[in-house]
Amino acid sequence: MGDKPLAHLEYPVLGRAYFLGGRASTSLRRALLQAGVEEDVLQRVCVACYEAEMNVVLHARTGYMSVDVWPDRVEVCVTDHGPGIEDVELAMQPGYSTASEEARSLGFGAGMGLPNIRQHADELAIESKVGEGVRLVMTFWRGGRRDGSEQ
Amino acid sequence: MEAVGAEALVPAGEPDRLVTGCFAADLMSDVLAFAQPGCLLITGLAKDQAVRSAAIKNLAAVLVVGGKEVDHEMIEAAQEEGVPLYRTGLSKYEACGVLMQAGYPPCGAPALRGQEAARGC
Repeated sequence: MGDKPLAHLEYPVLGRAYFLGGRASTSLRRALLQAGVEEDVLQRVCVACYEAEMNVVLHARTGYMSVDVWPDRVEVCVTDHGPGIEDVELAMQPGYSTASEEARSLGFGAGMGLPNIRQHADELAIESKVGEGVRLVMTFWRGGRRDGSEQ
Repeated sequence: MEAVGAEALVPAGEPDRLVTGCFAADLMSDVLAFAQPGCLLITGLAKDQAVRSAAIKNLAAVLVVGGKEVDHEMIEAAQEEGVPLYRTGLSKYEACGVLMQAGYPPCGAPALRGQEAARGC
């Protein structure tokens, strides 16, 4: 395995840009398809990215999605500048939401975003600083899902 | 689509995509979590996010129910994503009932329907 990923993709995400919400993730889908990522893997990647993208659109001012395709995995980092998450553990609970009416009117904001992300990613790390923003790092293994014990 | 008297706002390209079943939701997180590729999304959400969710999950088409007004942004998104978009005046419950009777199986949420049903689509 080389030091460079097979493909590196970057997408800016604008907060409050409701019309564009989801557009980075559908662009990513096409790019991953072109990069030869398997359908089941890219579907998991894009579901998690769509939820993460909508979190940025609904909660933050601006954000960034960066994706690296490796032979054995896809790595995604979503960073935003915004209010951050006060209690990450609480935010991970299905149904917990601080989303606005506006979020609900777009079909989101039911408190399933982070739980959905956790369900679709093989590995997930969340760093948050209140008043600064959130950084999500996700790993998706290609060629079958793995648990942490496998190498 | 004739079964529910739907009008095509963004028609399917050629060849028409095979609809393997149906999934109904207004909550996009449910679509992302449970809808299966190839199914028709029946939704009351007349927003471009419904189309983008369908694109992410490789669904066959989106049917907006309740005769809701579909704005230009949703139509634009459907064209951009290549997702056929339909609208019916029937309510969601009616549209689901008609499509179920027309033989379209439920397609999604296998965890809620059990393993046997999951294999069906």
